[in-house]
Amino acid sequence: MEKTAINAPVKIKNGMKIQPKQIVGQTILTIIVLLFTVFCFAPVLLTFISAFTDEMTINQNGFSFWPEKWSMVGMNSVLKYGNKLFTSYAVTIFVTVFGTFFGLLVMAMYAYSISRKGFKLAGFLSLFLLIPMLFNGGQLSGYMIFTRYYGLKNSLLALILPLCVSTMNVIILRTYIANSIPGELMEAAKIDGAGDYRTFFQITLPLLKPSLAAVGFMLATTYWNDWQNALLYISDDKLKPLQLLLVNIQKNISFLLNNTNVPASVRAAMGGAIPQYSSTMATVIVVIGPIMVVYPFFQKYFIKGLTVGSVKG
Amino acid sequence: MKAFFANLWKHRAHIVMALPGFLILFFIMYVPMAGLVMAFKKFDYQLGIFASPWCGLENFQFLIQSWKTFVNMTKNTVLYYLLFTVVGTFLNVALAIMIDQMRLKKAAKTMQTLMIIPVFISYAAVQFIVYAFLAKDTGLINNSLGINVSFYSKAAYWPWILLIVKIWKDTGYGSVLYMSVLAGIDTSLYEAAEIDGANKWQQIRHITIPSLVPMITVMLLLSVGNVMRSDTGLFYQVTRNNGILYSTTQVIDSYVLGQIFKSSNFGFPAATSFFQSVIGLLLMLFANWMVRKIEPENALF
Repeated sequence: MEKTAINAPVKIKNGMKIQPKQIVGQTILTIIVLLFTVFCFAPVLLTFISAFTDEMTINQNGFSFWPEKWSMVGMNSVLKYGNKLFTSYAVTIFVTVFGTFFGLLVMAMYAYSISRKGFKLAGFLSLFLLIPMLFNGGQLSGYMIFTRYYGLKNSLLALILPLCVSTMNVIILRTYIANSIPGELMEAAKIDGAGDYRTFFQITLPLLKPSLAAVGFMLATTYWNDWQNALLYISDDKLKPLQLLLVNIQKNISFLLNNTNVPASVRAAMGGAIPQYSSTMATVIVVIGPIMVVYPFFQKYFIKGLTVGSVKG
Repeated sequence: MKAFFANLWKHRAHIVMALPGFLILFFIMYVPMAGLVMAFKKFDYQLGIFASPWCGLENFQFLIQSWKTFVNMTKNTVLYYLLFTVVGTFLNVALAIMIDQMRLKKAAKTMQTLMIIPVFISYAAVQFIVYAFLAKDTGLINNSLGINVSFYSKAAYWPWILLIVKIWKDTGYGSVLYMSVLAGIDTSLYEAAEIDGANKWQQIRHITIPSLVPMITVMLLLSVGNVMRSDTGLFYQVTRNNGILYSTTQVIDSYVLGQIFKSSNFGFPAATSFFQSVIGLLLMLFANWMVRKIEPENALF
């Protein structure tokens, strides 16, 4: 009460005095941030517009925010993928959902274990977690090990396992456990007779929800967007995720551009001429669309859940 | 010793809970580290990495034979890392402060939502979006400026193009981490500064930025281990892995990825990978040592 009494008049006095200057400042600030927003969002908007633009219009006038003629042909051509699109969606959704839940559980348990006080292995396990960030085998060695020794060529595990545990995400979860979940709560649970597992699953895990939501969403995005592991390990049509659809379009384009004398039969097998602009953009939308729809629901957790604390713990 | 095992027994539940993560780290991250010995082997896929015969430093002769390629991609890798880190960190922090300072909270939130979107678009998709802007005949830039530049055949443009794409994709999201720190600053600090007559700039300089420094240090340190690694998609997908552009766009990771698909001789890629991992480690240790000298609090280990 007393505090506001002291503060209030000062604020009003300052406010009155600085107001015009502040309005100018705020306006400039808002304009800068707005410009950056336009810079970020315009390309996304262009993608959507191009997907609904008439192919001839793009060919003649180029890509544009205000196309002369709209068309549904691009979107319709996506349906031509038929079963292939359906399979790819199924693969991507399975990998994303399974990988995210599995990864979150594994990482949350690891983060919980290494944040237990008095646990003698915690130091070793933290170091074990940290080292891969300093030193790792790289793509080539990983590829050889995964295909030659683990037999992961054309296995969905090759898409799930490499991404499910990451040092950064475990650190974020551990920081949240250490800073935002009162230790007394877990001790109290123990005194009341809850075992270690029960304490984790019934006390810690529910309280960890904001952090799990933020990390989980980022992990899900990583799975959804992973084209590299798919390109390396998946060649079977039945296991190709959505991102490979995009990679294959690009492959076809460069193949047809580099080989002008491709026999007509091969061209026909590849689905006619060079993939068209509008249908390519429509495919892009089909691939990125689901994330755009889900993302706003998770945004509120970002700031709260993604705090990276000291790595040392 | 007995006390140690008693402690382990007491914490057996925690060992069980850490085990799945431990095993995944071991098989996914640690075993490939051992695979780096490939650099010293005459690799035969049938035999596998560990059974292939040793060949000493033979593979490293390729580095000298293809010295130009090697130097070029190493130089690109390091320079892009520096460029992206310096520009990226500056913009992330600046944007976080600007959004935090905005009075129109609702508008700020909406703009932030839109800004974060690009981070969720994979590079496999981004390359088509970039193409819509840069294509020679149909591209938005050539058409709206009435020029006719073929971006995809001139290497000199690409450092700028890649920088802009990187800023576009990552800045919105990158600022979120710093905003989480800003949200945690005690507002009474600002009130006190205001009473003492500090203007906005002074408040930012003396309260906001110092409170961001620990986070900036941690993020920089975490990134140092990746000096020799790159955002492969940016260099492999966005450039369409176009050979004409290699002088400014080929980095170690995109080179190695390309080699996995076409090469039967893995000697040079293996030697390059080994070099990449070892230099990365040394730089990380060096950076951490530096930080520990200056500000032990912020060191990683």
